[in-house]
Amino acid sequence: MNYINLFRSTLPETALEIAALLVLFVDLGFLRKAARATRIAVAAVLGIAGCLAALWAVSIAGPFSAGNDLLLSAGGSAGVAQVAVLALTALTLLLLIDSDFTRNPGEYVAVVLMAAAGGLLISAAQDLLVIFAGLELLSLSLYILTAFAKQSGKSAESAIKYYVFGAMSAAFLLFGFSYLYGLTGSTNLHEIALAAAVGRAASATPLLYIALVMVAVGLGFKVAAVPFHLWAPDTYEGAPAPAAAFIASVSKVASFALLVGIGTAFFHVFDNLHRGVLFVRFGFPTRYLGLLAPWELILTVLAVASMIFGNLAALAQSSVRRLLAYSAIAHAGYILLGLAFFSWTNVSAQAVLYYIVTHGLTTIGAFGVVGVVERAVGSDRLEAFLGLQKRNPLLAAVMLVLFLSLAGIPPLVGFWAKFNLFAAVLRTSGGALPFTLVALAVLFSAVSLYYYLQVLKRVYVMPATDESPITARPVTVAVLVLITAAVVVLGCFPALLQSWIASFYPHP
Amino acid sequence: MIQESAAFTPQFGASAIARILWLIPAVPILASGVIALMKQPQRKPAATLAIGSLSFSLLLSLIAFGHVLAGWAHSAVVRETVNFAWFHFGRTSVDLGWVLDPLAAIMLVMVSFVGLLIFIYSVGYMAHDENYTRFFCFLSLFAGAMLGVVISNSILLLFMCWEIVGLTSYLLIGFWYQKPSAAAAAKKAFITTRFGDVFFLLGIVWLFAQTGTLLFYNHGVGSLEGLALANLLTQHAGLGLSAACAIGLLIFAGAAGKSGQLPLHVWLPDAMEGPTPVSALIHAATMVAAGVYLIARVYPLMQIGAGPNGSTTALTVVAWVGAATAVFAALIAVAQDDIKRILAYSTISQLGYMMAGLALGGVAVGMFHLITHAFFKALLFLGAGSVIHGCHEEQDIRKMGCLRVDMPFTFITYAIGMLALCGFPIFFSGFWSKDGILEAAHSWNISQVPFYLLAFGALLTAFYMTRQVCYVFFGYWRGHETAHESPGVMILPMVILAFFAMALGLIGTPAWPWLHAFLDNHAAPFSFHGFAEPGLGWLMLASSLIVFLGLGLGWKFYGDKSPEPEEPDVLEKSTPKVWAALRNRLYVDEFYGATVIAFYAWWARVADWLDRRVWGGIVAAVAWLFGLWARFNRLLDVEWVDGSFDKTCDELSSGGGLLARVQSGRVQDYLRILAVAVIVLAAILLWSSRP
Repeated sequence: MNYINLFRSTLPETALEIAALLVLFVDLGFLRKAARATRIAVAAVLGIAGCLAALWAVSIAGPFSAGNDLLLSAGGSAGVAQVAVLALTALTLLLLIDSDFTRNPGEYVAVVLMAAAGGLLISAAQDLLVIFAGLELLSLSLYILTAFAKQSGKSAESAIKYYVFGAMSAAFLLFGFSYLYGLTGSTNLHEIALAAAVGRAASATPLLYIALVMVAVGLGFKVAAVPFHLWAPDTYEGAPAPAAAFIASVSKVASFALLVGIGTAFFHVFDNLHRGVLFVRFGFPTRYLGLLAPWELILTVLAVASMIFGNLAALAQSSVRRLLAYSAIAHAGYILLGLAFFSWTNVSAQAVLYYIVTHGLTTIGAFGVVGVVERAVGSDRLEAFLGLQKRNPLLAAVMLVLFLSLAGIPPLVGFWAKFNLFAAVLRTSGGALPFTLVALAVLFSAVSLYYYLQVLKRVYVMPATDESPITARPVTVAVLVLITAAVVVLGCFPALLQSWIASFYPHP
Repeated sequence: MIQESAAFTPQFGASAIARILWLIPAVPILASGVIALMKQPQRKPAATLAIGSLSFSLLLSLIAFGHVLAGWAHSAVVRETVNFAWFHFGRTSVDLGWVLDPLAAIMLVMVSFVGLLIFIYSVGYMAHDENYTRFFCFLSLFAGAMLGVVISNSILLLFMCWEIVGLTSYLLIGFWYQKPSAAAAAKKAFITTRFGDVFFLLGIVWLFAQTGTLLFYNHGVGSLEGLALANLLTQHAGLGLSAACAIGLLIFAGAAGKSGQLPLHVWLPDAMEGPTPVSALIHAATMVAAGVYLIARVYPLMQIGAGPNGSTTALTVVAWVGAATAVFAALIAVAQDDIKRILAYSTISQLGYMMAGLALGGVAVGMFHLITHAFFKALLFLGAGSVIHGCHEEQDIRKMGCLRVDMPFTFITYAIGMLALCGFPIFFSGFWSKDGILEAAHSWNISQVPFYLLAFGALLTAFYMTRQVCYVFFGYWRGHETAHESPGVMILPMVILAFFAMALGLIGTPAWPWLHAFLDNHAAPFSFHGFAEPGLGWLMLASSLIVFLGLGLGWKFYGDKSPEPEEPDVLEKSTPKVWAALRNRLYVDEFYGATVIAFYAWWARVADWLDRRVWGGIVAAVAWLFGLWARFNRLLDVEWVDGSFDKTCDELSSGGGLLARVQSGRVQDYLRILAVAVIVLAAILLWSSRP
């Protein structure tokens, strides 16, 4: 890959970084004396402009020759995830406009943009070093964002926990990467997978497996999969609402896109090995083919643990933010199931992308509502939502749609996301195991309805203790209505998003 | 599912009007949504919005009709479809779409035009109802869904609209839900039509499974086009039927439920509990005709594989059911006293004519009667509504009389509708459309019985309508308060409908069979040679004589006499037993009550008994056993285990339960768990990959 190509393929990241510097420059250079509302608005608008510029850069990124020395890929899952990362970042910046937790909006927006740049990198990364650099850029920014409410003790506490846990898992990840490099002699995902399948590394199985487990720690931490999820409830609870929305949506989208990229790379190996991919898939026992079988096993274990633990723990929560954290863990479990039974066609990748994009969108909306209620009532306990329907019917309606979508009720988009994902799992591999796991996932989706309805019951059914109206500010309302409308429309016309995602792939 | 691109792909061959055809149902449905959000006192905006949206639909329908007409006149393409994939299901795509062809175009115009007139009429009729807004909300939803049924090119879309139409029918029959009889009638209508819909749905699933497409027309690969039909014909469904025939019969079951054919007609007379405009729009002109329209829409399926006698098993069944219904309902209508119930049975009877017409003579014959009937029956219902309104909500014809003096406009328009329904020769549309059906029945070469049944039905029709008109408009006034004429907003739609009840006959006379030519897509030259077909003249003469006979008999029995309200009917005196049977609607309801409903009640009692005694007993026994086991355990616990257990418990509860222990909030613990997890994962992996 020559430097011109490298520059072209990192144009979106460059745009974000320039925007980050510009925000700092404008905010600290010209607006130090300005009112806080002005500073926040200017910073957010500049940040959104940066996202739009990066979106434009993504859209003009041409296809590259897909060699094995690739650092970054374009199109396919990378394209979808990059667009989603940028759009969701812009939405969380819009939520910032109406919030008041910080006196340093310039720094906040700059850090958000850097985190988004990290997200863009890992969405497209094909090389261990790029992955690690992107992950660290993302993670370090997120630690800062979590701690950004400087008056809040909770914010600082959760940030330090997040940081310690994150540093530890990053160490594991790097250790695993070093093993992989040592065993295969390459940092490129395709080369590694090739070497693990046929090269000398194939004989060093136990060591290879240890390396994979280490890598799984680092990535499991990013997607908050049980048992590497422990940071999530604290962070979701302590971080300022826009930051929490960012962590729950953008960072998740990018991290899952990375997992999709890894899965795709492992499968492309077979394309290089044999022309007839089907022959490989069915001619030999899959489990001995390089990294695929152990990787699938690890993901399956994480998926099952996340589904069970996430859903059961969510039942016992009394804080809506923690509830959302455990629900996100449960959703991560479903997605990991789709990644564990990955298909050599694009079916699984597209189903997972559909899921993460829509889930990210819905989560931002949910945190938006929680943020508004929290500011009016001063708490995110379940009781804070009592009688919301009387206090602000619009917010209540938004909450209804978003939570039902998270629970997977048709015709909302969450239903189609689950449906596609589970269908992809069943189509990819027959047999009792995937069927049992999907049955388990469906069962736990039913369980999840209980805790979503616990919240909605307080919103709609239970008598209110306080009936004074709650007002939301116009930008927030606009964002929430937009998200809700998208959830309904995409749910009624599921083919819209499907065909949009498919349009990133050169062939079906 | 995902990898196949699912973009919205309109056929760019389709004309502009075909591409925006979806607006015709969408606008009234949208209006209904908006009205639903309005408050009770916002009466005027609600009515304006409903009428405005339907006027828009009528306008678009007229443009669409003009477009098809122009295409037909130039012998160009007359069927345009716009299809798109709703979503994908594995390799199957679930397609929706709409179609613009002569059948849809003419039906669109009829539904939106008659609907609009009835909307306007409702402004006057419902003026004093406090739930005026809700009424227009439902009415608008109905109109939208009905128009959706008409333009559907996908059997799934059709079924969805069909179900919405059923729902609005339920809502509107039960509009005065405070009346127990209205609530019961709504339930009866919903459940009875649903019974037919079950078969319809089976037919849809079967059709989809056999042809792999939900679309009717799709450039040669739709389910009503050559390839799929040929395939359906070769599949055997048992009992000597082809799959095409069996699916056709299943679909007919759905149509029979909606169109009140024997034996599923029982809901339609009860549906008259709804407001009269609803009876006119839904239970006379449009919704009940949806079943007929459905059969016309899937006619290629019903017709495929016709034998040497020109009919298939499915069509033969339709013909017999239709003819039997026509006579059956007409018989009952003779002995009813409720002005709307008479019309309801008359509707059932006429729907039987339409079904028979479809089966015996083809799409055009059935559809002609559907269109003319929609106009004159809507007119009759609106007239009945006007009478009821004028007589202070009285519906018993024995308590009316001599209204021709008090309500002259209603009388004249009603008389026109009545003569059209009877098939009075030459000047009224009903004559031409009914004559077409009789002619088709006469030339059917399987059996002549349907012809005689239908002719007898025509005689009865003329008779019971004369009886009704004599009771209502002639004789002397037998009510209490004086009757009054209805306001202009109610009279105007009736006058317009009366005009069409006469004029519409022009589009289907033997001299100029325009409608037949339009629907079958060939030219329609005007010539009086159409009358010269052998036997036609005699047939027309005979049917005219039948009508005159019916009118004469009716006048003879009821014309000049003015029976007291309590006095038994003239016929009752001569044949009390037959009369009682007819009056009690030939005991069909009682029969269902004694069989189906009694069976369900019995089954429910059995299930209840099973629940209480058998399953409940088992559960109680298990519970008792567990209780015993628990007591034993408790003994064991208290004696043996408690000591050690208490100690463990204390330890656990100091951490606050298992979950809280995991999520202790201490980051050191988090890291410990992480380390343990790594070891466990590695152990699982290595253990599973052992040689």
